Amino acid sequence: MSDRLLALSSNSTARSLAKSLGVPLPPRLERDTGPWRDLPLAGRRIVVWTGEGAGSTALSAALAESLPRLGGDVAVAAGEVAAFEAAGQAWARPPRPLAENERPAALVFDASGITDVAALQQLWSALSPQVRGLLASGRVLVLSRPPRGLPLRAAAAQRSLEGFVRSLAKELGRTGATAQLVEVPHGAEDRIGAVLAFLLSPRSTYVSGQAWRISTLLPAAFTPSRPLDGRRALVTGAARGIGAATARALAREGARVIVHDHPGAEAEAREVAAELHGDVLLADLGDEEGLQRLVGDPRLEALDVLVQNAGITRDRTLARMSAEEWDLLMRVNLEAPLRLAETLGERLRSGGAMVCLSSIGGIAGNMGQTNYAASKAGIIGMVESAAEGYASRGVAVSAIAPGFIETRMSAAIPFATREVARRIANLSQGGLPEDVAEVVTFLASPSGRALSGSVLRVCGGNLIGA
Amino acid sequence: MPNSNGRALICGGSRTPFVRAFAEYVEIDTIALAAMAVRGTLERSRVPWDAVDAVVWGGVILPPTSPNVGRELVLDLKLPSRVEARTVTRACASGLQAITDAVAAVERGDADVVIAGGSDSTSNAPIPMPESFIRKVGPVVMGRKSGFTDYLGLLARLSPTRDLLPRQPRVAERSTGELMGEAAESMAKRHQISREAQDAWTVRSHQRAEAAWTSGRFADEVVPVKLPDGQVLARDTLVRADTDMEKLAKLRPVFSKDGTLTAANSTALTDGAGAVIVASERAAERLGLTPLACLRSSAYIGVDPADQLLIGPALAMPRALARAGLSLEEVDLVDLHEAFAAVVLVVRAVLENDAFARERLGMDRAPGHIADEKLNVHGGSVALGHPFGATGARMVLTMANELHRTGKSTALLGICAAGGLGAAAVLGRV
Repeated sequence: MSDRLLALSSNSTARSLAKSLGVPLPPRLERDTGPWRDLPLAGRRIVVWTGEGAGSTALSAALAESLPRLGGDVAVAAGEVAAFEAAGQAWARPPRPLAENERPAALVFDASGITDVAALQQLWSALSPQVRGLLASGRVLVLSRPPRGLPLRAAAAQRSLEGFVRSLAKELGRTGATAQLVEVPHGAEDRIGAVLAFLLSPRSTYVSGQAWRISTLLPAAFTPSRPLDGRRALVTGAARGIGAATARALAREGARVIVHDHPGAEAEAREVAAELHGDVLLADLGDEEGLQRLVGDPRLEALDVLVQNAGITRDRTLARMSAEEWDLLMRVNLEAPLRLAETLGERLRSGGAMVCLSSIGGIAGNMGQTNYAASKAGIIGMVESAAEGYASRGVAVSAIAPGFIETRMSAAIPFATREVARRIANLSQGGLPEDVAEVVTFLASPSGRALSGSVLRVCGGNLIGA
Repeated sequence: MPNSNGRALICGGSRTPFVRAFAEYVEIDTIALAAMAVRGTLERSRVPWDAVDAVVWGGVILPPTSPNVGRELVLDLKLPSRVEARTVTRACASGLQAITDAVAAVERGDADVVIAGGSDSTSNAPIPMPESFIRKVGPVVMGRKSGFTDYLGLLARLSPTRDLLPRQPRVAERSTGELMGEAAESMAKRHQISREAQDAWTVRSHQRAEAAWTSGRFADEVVPVKLPDGQVLARDTLVRADTDMEKLAKLRPVFSKDGTLTAANSTALTDGAGAVIVASERAAERLGLTPLACLRSSAYIGVDPADQLLIGPALAMPRALARAGLSLEEVDLVDLHEAFAAVVLVVRAVLENDAFARERLGMDRAPGHIADEKLNVHGGSVALGHPFGATGARMVLTMANELHRTGKSTALLGICAAGGLGAAAVLGRV
């Protein structure tokens, strides 16, 4: 189960040996799994290119206002220095140029003002000389506007940014660095800070090559510490793996967590709950009686956060798959989440969030997983359908599609397939349950409301998929 | 429950001369310094010893075997045994903390007359043995069954350099490991406070402190101390009348090679103590005390120590002003703790900054400019020194006397403290 290549890469002798032999070793990724804090970007050097044109003014103002407040130490490579100077004063973090040999932790390029093919060249001229100097586990963010509804050339230019970012993410992966597109619709500029606080920090470790589409559905604001204080959360399938890591992360940020799993995992569920001073709820989501017991549990009457994580696999090619394998998987992976959404989801308190675990298989499909991929794609449909209605009640809803994560479920994959799945990711390794847990926690927090309606992949930039 | 105590009044006080650490006071510990300041306070204010209800004392480096300095000074002075005491610690704001605690106790009706103040003796800071020494020696020496061979084995395992040499004590932040001077250096850099500006402030501080001595202003609040060799020390030893820009310019930066902070524009390690009498209106009248000032408000706040460790006063002072219903302009006097000349200049600058006010204070406009004639009128810690626990008491004492003497009505105090703490208080004349 353990990643031997990754273990080897932490040994400096092995590392230099491998380097001289030309064997690529996966990078050690920077991670922050400690509590949220006031200044998530403290000490990080961020090079910023602000855009040109009227459409960009609001974006550069939002960047100028949020980065110094989050602790970021900005160097303005091009554009609106004045905005950063004015806003930086409050925090004694005025912009200052990179010193010679100083390596930035992040590059933030506001491309929202680009409306033509010729102007796209700015991406190359700005980032090409800088990417090599980026620190290990660094970040590149390109800010854009939604292309839909734009004139022909502008739409093409804005849409091209996504292709650029996805490719750059692949090139950067060797050093543990990531690249993302942040799409900001008009009127959502005030949500940028909340999203950047997460994306530029070492909490977005295993997210790469993604388009983060900020929505206008719900207001969002960065909450420095304990963003979930006083909230009640239910995590299904939380006895181990991603669910357990999520329960821990939510509890760390202040939530009172109810740890759910099926009765067979009682011992592990109790252990997690005891550690978090949370409650245990045992119910088999594969049968009607268990489902009814769960939704009828009086402890769930007042709930703020619902994380739909429980899921199973019954892998077999369609021709060989039995009706039982199809039926059971659909009951647990799709029917149960829908029932929970229709009952618990409908009464989540305002300010709350529902986060559902989909899978990269649900986006890209997978050999031997027609049933699994169908259920996980169904989750995406559910989230997209629910977003608007939930927003009217002040509740955020989103989906996460993990790629290859080192869990008991993925350990059951045959060795060769498993090894390929690890190495084809941009970051050439699997993610940890904690990486997914940090994204779930972000989406459940007041910051993550900016992404309501989104499907986020936590896949290390896996080759497969959109 | 309402009580008839009314406001708490500050009715005089005194302090010892402040002395550079490891000099004249090296044989006088913090309890002895505290006792001298309290004795001076009681004698000068003519408070009958029997009228005292309690002592609230502030200190930073507390004696490990007798950390309740307040109680020890009561016993050493032979104040009535029933006089209860506690010792509070809030880094460099400990002295002010003791006074705000005493005021709260009196106004709540818990006590009528409280002695409050603080002291520190850096010279008598316990020098801890390395942890590796304790871990090796402890089990053998404290263990019941240790025999001769255990001791022999222990001797063989002790490394003279690693285990036996005590570590140099450092004023470092526990959470960040950063020296306070390094934090101040980075603040000076970020706010572009020049070496010249800091040195000029240093000269000003020394000149004003010297003037306060020359005019007899300080002699009224400082009690002479009889040193172990029989000599009497009546003045602060760090104030240098002959300091000028030229001399200061020759000093090398101490915290960073290309830095701007020197030994002169930073405070020196200092020993000393200061105290005031806090009494209810009723008690002051009954005992015939001379009320100088009351505490109109106070405010304490924390900031991220990893960011700007000593910016706290810029956040605490506007809060204290708001609680007193005053604007910065309306205040007659401002006393800012000079941990470093740079800190005073930084705090003064950000209080003029609209962006800071909007983002950090939630105010539409900056609190404003602190006029030169209002600020640190009798110098500050750069010239006088800074016995950690005593500084807050010194500032309250000097400002209370100043209000009483000049007839001005309000004084604002601001103190930065380790751990990213800021403290502020508004005093009003009575």
